[in-house]
Amino acid sequence: MENLENSSYWMALAHLPRWRTERINRLIVDILQEKKMTYAEFFSLDKNNWQNEFELNSNEIAELETAKKELPNYSFLAESLINQGYNIVPIDSADYSPTLKANLKLKFSPPVIYIKGNKQLLQEDTVAIVGSRNASDISLQFTKTVAQKCAKEYKVVVSGFAKGVDKKALDETLAVVGHSIIVLPQGIMTFSSGFRKYYSQIVQGDVLVLSTFHPKVPWSAGLAMSRNVYIYGLAKTIYAAESDSKGGTWSGVLDGLKKGREIYVRKPGSDEKNANELLILAGAKPVDSDGNILIEESSYLQTRLKDMLSSQSFTIEEIIEKLKLKIESENFSKILSGLDFIERKRINKQNYFYLKERVESQMELF
Amino acid sequence: MTRPEAEQKLKQSFNLDHFYDDQWKTIERILNGERILLIEKTGFGKSLCYQFPATQFEGMTIIFSPLIALMRDQVKYLKSIGINCECINSGQEAEENTEILENAVNGKIKILYIAPERQENQQWTEAVRMMNLSMVVVDEAHCISVWGHDFRPAFMRIISLVRLLPENFPVLATTATATQKVADDIIQQIGRNVSLIRGNLLRKNFYLSVVKVDDEISKMAWIAQFLQKQAGNGLIYTGTRVNTDLYAAWLQSENISAANYNAGLDSDSRKDIENGLQENRWKCIVSTNALGMGIDKPDVRFIIHTQMPQSPIHYYQEIGRAGRDGLPTNIILLYNPEDKELPEHFIKNSRPSLKKYEKVIEALKKEPLGEWNLMRKTNLTQTQVRVIRADLIDQGIIREVMYGRDKKYEYQFGASQLDIESFEKLRDFKMNELDQMVNYCESTECRMDFLCSYLGDDSVKKCDNCNNCLQRNPQYFPDNYWKARIRKFQQDFYPELEVETGSSNIVNGIAASYYGFSNVGAIIHRCKYEKGGDFPNHLLILTLRAFRHKFEDEKFDLIVYVPPTESGDLVKNFAYKIARTLRFPFSDKLKKVHHTKPQKIFQNYVLKRDNVKDVFSYENEAEIFGKKILLIDDIFDSGATIKEIAKMFTKIGAEIIAPLVIAKTIGGDL
Repeated sequence: MENLENSSYWMALAHLPRWRTERINRLIVDILQEKKMTYAEFFSLDKNNWQNEFELNSNEIAELETAKKELPNYSFLAESLINQGYNIVPIDSADYSPTLKANLKLKFSPPVIYIKGNKQLLQEDTVAIVGSRNASDISLQFTKTVAQKCAKEYKVVVSGFAKGVDKKALDETLAVVGHSIIVLPQGIMTFSSGFRKYYSQIVQGDVLVLSTFHPKVPWSAGLAMSRNVYIYGLAKTIYAAESDSKGGTWSGVLDGLKKGREIYVRKPGSDEKNANELLILAGAKPVDSDGNILIEESSYLQTRLKDMLSSQSFTIEEIIEKLKLKIESENFSKILSGLDFIERKRINKQNYFYLKERVESQMELF
Repeated sequence: MTRPEAEQKLKQSFNLDHFYDDQWKTIERILNGERILLIEKTGFGKSLCYQFPATQFEGMTIIFSPLIALMRDQVKYLKSIGINCECINSGQEAEENTEILENAVNGKIKILYIAPERQENQQWTEAVRMMNLSMVVVDEAHCISVWGHDFRPAFMRIISLVRLLPENFPVLATTATATQKVADDIIQQIGRNVSLIRGNLLRKNFYLSVVKVDDEISKMAWIAQFLQKQAGNGLIYTGTRVNTDLYAAWLQSENISAANYNAGLDSDSRKDIENGLQENRWKCIVSTNALGMGIDKPDVRFIIHTQMPQSPIHYYQEIGRAGRDGLPTNIILLYNPEDKELPEHFIKNSRPSLKKYEKVIEALKKEPLGEWNLMRKTNLTQTQVRVIRADLIDQGIIREVMYGRDKKYEYQFGASQLDIESFEKLRDFKMNELDQMVNYCESTECRMDFLCSYLGDDSVKKCDNCNNCLQRNPQYFPDNYWKARIRKFQQDFYPELEVETGSSNIVNGIAASYYGFSNVGAIIHRCKYEKGGDFPNHLLILTLRAFRHKFEDEKFDLIVYVPPTESGDLVKNFAYKIARTLRFPFSDKLKKVHHTKPQKIFQNYVLKRDNVKDVFSYENEAEIFGKKILLIDDIFDSGATIKEIAKMFTKIGAEIIAPLVIAKTIGGDL
């Protein structure tokens, strides 16, 4: 059992308004590890000490003063949570997901998570299957296959509880009595209907519900977007079933790639109109319809792109048109900029993309 | 703040000159942000120990108290001296509570009294998040401990709350009655540096005595004679609800004004009696231990127990509210060694069987359920469900979860096995306490010393006022005069059927007897289940007498009877004979639309009500309009059937429905 007496401190710090996650986490490390203080000791310091010992600025100090006043209020909320069977897990707890911490580091790891259900699931091997809210049947079939394969391997399937792929991953996992973590786009106390629906799975230990937000905050689109970070963070392995060239899955996968995560994307058929190929181009690993990794020399789009740019340079719009892609030029431009074999130059206020090797070889000629 | 400074402020706001030393000791530490357990006898002035600091803090003080009556009194007092103080409770209109919450959020209230159960209310938990809080007080803190005399499950949540409050946030827990074991338990549960402040327990003005008697009749006779001589007003505690009824009726028949009070009464009636007590409307109030802690009256002159309580700590608590004015006060226990059986029975049966616990656990593994649905699924009584629920919550096996506004219970994944060893330990402990209570009754030493020592105060030695210190050994045997009076009273005593509700035109009715009191129950049983034939004539005579007692010469337009489930025409024939004697029209047109199961197989009111819901109809509805109906049945238990029939009759225009039955069972659920 964690030191529950500290719940109000955890919550007051985690929900400091206007503080970046990293700032909060650094302060926690500073208090507990650097200064070896208890939270109670920290909060009984005066402003001068806060300023001198913790290098807090006047805005931060004002916000901490408010948080200090709210401590008893958080105690009431914490009591309500604990009484109703929710766990409050701070970042320094042994119950906290090691995967989440390893993936998101101090920069993005939520200082507190709220959970209900089998907390052991946080310690196990995890997989997320992400994808569009209105995915095709092929993608849903892929989701089912991968989810059930993972369940058989005793992996925990992390689901964002959105329509489409998220929900499918959850339902198929539970259909074969696998384990799942539901990551909420809302405060954990606002999820009554879900708790009713998954009651027996929670009671049997197959499901853990998790939220990183203030327990009372209702669903919002903004929270749904920020929740994606935690889905990727909680999963050791990430599969993308289907992505459009914009939206949650799209930005989520790209964000994951940027953070150096390995992400498996279902290799689409030639007639599919999704943006899976583009994600593969951006660096995601292609997998077949059973989730097996495909070893490719280079991706289909990469080959075509190289062919096209081997003789000539093009503007972004020209490339999109010639390759018959469905993507906004700005988004595609970002992808191309991230590829190591492509460079761009600016001529007459236009960006032109060309193959790196070609230019280099030309250079040598001169 | 120094003591002189504080006392100056005390003069200004409370018009008091100084603190007692223990008061100041407590207040000084509270102002310093400490946690205190304060154990002081009734009348010491515990409330000032939080009221004063509350006025000095910037934010609001929350006081958890289980006693609505006491909360009301304190709010009245604090308002009268100009302190912004309110009380939130279930007895008030929702609008009023909402307004108080708003004012609390806006910082307009200094002291807020609430019941511990309020922690379960969503509106409260929402609002409290936004209040500026300075201190939490737990009044009657012994309710935290199962080792005390009045453990209340709602206090479990107060404990977890207090544990979660930040360090340096002042918390005061107070009680008048705690043994060392209870004090240790409270301190251990509250956690984080609690210090104990404890005063002496001696009540100098108490005249304790134990009067030895042989039976119930002796007690009744003794009390009637005692009250003729005793000045002032006081309380009589009985062991059961039925006895509050019986003793109050007996005293009334002796022209001694008495009211009966028990947990079966609705909150309006209870409030009315509490007010009546303050105004000395009656010579005495006959009550179960439901009344007691809530009394804030200086001049309760006597307290008589017709039944020994479960333990000396119960006893000290129940007599605690007497004689706060310091004037001589008689504290009498009527003792018949056989009286040990009742508390013994309570202790032994305080917990349902293991099988019933399992039933609840299994039901909750399938789905989250509220209290009523839990009763439906398990067919357990409400009391059983509540006891089991509290234990399971305490052991972390289930949790109470809010689904919107509804409270439901959820099984917890990974919960440990039910620990029954702790139940056995507690039962053994309580049996031991009961033995101590018997020892009190049998003791020849100073009684005040006995009680105070039991509560951890060894300073008394000799009170000089109890029957032992005065070397008296009272015993009482009634003479024939009193025996005859009581026999006559018993013949004329009929249990009231309290069924009036706002939702139908039913009025309170009457029963000829209690089911288990005389041989009436046995006769009914023989007729119903052992083919004993029609209910015998003397039951008819008794029932007619009960009718006259309650309704005198009132005329009814129609006599109907409750259609049977399995016992044939017994009730029909009985009702017909009553109709013939009283010369009221008789009807057998009240029917069941479909078959029902016997009510007795259902253990709780919810299932009984479900069983008879929409079951009754009347063949010729027009016949009922504007009529006064006398409704006959053999046994009255939960009243669910009779209330359902009354609902139907009300719908088709009946003016009055009055129930008349042969026997009323003791202790129906709900």
